[in-house]
Amino acid sequence: MRHGKYPFIIGFLVVPVALYVTFVVAAYLQTFQLSLTSWSGLGKIEYIGFDNFVKLWHDDTFWKSIKHNLFLLILLPIITIAIALVFAFLLNVGGGHKGGQSRGVWGSKVYRIIFFFPQLLALAIVAVIFGRVFGPDKSGMLNGLFPQSWSPWLFLADERYAMACILVVLIWQAVGFYVVLFSAGMGSISDDIYEAAALDGATRFTLFFRITIPLLWSTIQVAWVYLGIAAFDAFALVNIMTVDRGGPNGATSVLSLMIYRNAFDFSQAGYACALGVVLFFLTLTFAALTLRVTRRDSVEA
Amino acid sequence: MARAPRDEGVVTVGRTRIGSILANTIGVLFALLMLFPVYWVINTAFKPADEVLALDPTFWPNHPTLANFTSAFKAPLFLQDMLNGLIVTLLAVAGALVVGFLAALAIARFSFYGRKAIILVVLAVQLVPFLALLIPLFLMLQTVSLTNSLIGVSITYLVLILPYTVWTLRGFISGIPRELDEAALIDGCTRAQVFWRIILPLTGPGLVATSVYGFIQAWNEFIIINTLNSPAKQNLMAWLLQNQTTRGTAWGPLMAGAIITSIPVVIFFLIIQRNIATGLTAGAVKG
Repeated sequence: MRHGKYPFIIGFLVVPVALYVTFVVAAYLQTFQLSLTSWSGLGKIEYIGFDNFVKLWHDDTFWKSIKHNLFLLILLPIITIAIALVFAFLLNVGGGHKGGQSRGVWGSKVYRIIFFFPQLLALAIVAVIFGRVFGPDKSGMLNGLFPQSWSPWLFLADERYAMACILVVLIWQAVGFYVVLFSAGMGSISDDIYEAAALDGATRFTLFFRITIPLLWSTIQVAWVYLGIAAFDAFALVNIMTVDRGGPNGATSVLSLMIYRNAFDFSQAGYACALGVVLFFLTLTFAALTLRVTRRDSVEA
Repeated sequence: MARAPRDEGVVTVGRTRIGSILANTIGVLFALLMLFPVYWVINTAFKPADEVLALDPTFWPNHPTLANFTSAFKAPLFLQDMLNGLIVTLLAVAGALVVGFLAALAIARFSFYGRKAIILVVLAVQLVPFLALLIPLFLMLQTVSLTNSLIGVSITYLVLILPYTVWTLRGFISGIPRELDEAALIDGCTRAQVFWRIILPLTGPGLVATSVYGFIQAWNEFIIINTLNSPAKQNLMAWLLQNQTTRGTAWGPLMAGAIITSIPVVIFFLIIQRNIATGLTAGAVKG
């Protein structure tokens, strides 16, 4: 049966490989190439060596953006995964253990749907909604809920808290997906393990830290990488929600926003591509590091 | 740690009733937090204009109205952009299913030189920031006159959802025992027949899960379509954003538009919501 396998393989893979060579590989090579030019986006292309990268090094907005991306990179995965793990645990085993089957808390099926809901809304819609939630006057949703005597919070218009608002929205949007993802992982952990541990007198805490987390480790790893990637992006929310797109005063600028604005608003396509190159290496370094650092002997469920 | 309850098959993990109440309370509070903004959208969409802008907003519309929905439907380009979104999404999903299924077959069922490299590329592509590709993408599509065209966007979306499609379908196909293939081959099926008659039908749930996911991705996308196309060739997401900036305070129709825009996705989700965990497991958990 061996002969005749290659026609299939080639036939099956030629289209996807061609698509990726053109749309991803060639496109990235072009980004690298353009990063060495002073191209505005129109007209003549002139090579200027590494000038764009030198300029980047001295660009305050760039360092601010890096700082904001790191802020998201550290906090988004930690908080989201923590919340998602706790809720997935509650949904799956938190309700106790009856008749040899672990149960979730009451109504866990409903929760699962509710938590997944934000995932269904387009980021564009999420951004529009949270623009209302964080409205800086009394017509804003949160300010409307606060007592009348309080002076309204500025939220996105306040340099100190604008980035935190973005973080909150990112978490709100992401957490449901990870609850479902972790639930799926927990569902595949055998009930016998929980039952045995429960019989040995393990508390909910012990079950969570000694059984659930180690057995879910590879899923958590995947989640960490995905959330990290989301933290490197964050373009949609920042672009739509923030004051002056990235403001006030650069307080919410992130790398992806800088790329977009330089390319399509400031006619600095070459510079935007240099930023793209930086983002490319940062993302890949992050992914490789995460997978390496968090590697540990996996426990088979 | 000493007293383990052993009454006849009833083992209470949580031990205390208080623990259970606490767990349930946290659950309810968190669910409210997740739902509140969505609820507010619906609330706003059914309010007449004066109530939307009231300084003391109420938790329900005092005089519920459908006016916001009708004005959204009548708004310029709304129906046009809805149709555009539908065309682009369906083309991309259909394309990704065909291309993705075949690629997943090759990866799951054959061993060949470069297989590992392809798997690695499929995974890596999901990691690289897409935004940095917008400029070359624009240039590339421009040279073949596919900017400001629904076809160009469809192809881009196809590329966008393909990695997930391949990866998930690979998981599903790997789950089908090879013994089935071998039995069919012995019974005189050709390889193509095995793929068509045995693997394809058995991958059914996987195809449903991936197409729904692809649909959500493509339907909700707006950065690419907003950059490549002019308003008459964009989708509803781009329409919403346009209207947010130009109309400023017309929140009622905007929220009504947001609801209409979300309906297809919500319907799809409710259809497959039972299987969503399966789809996720096949794609991500199995690694």
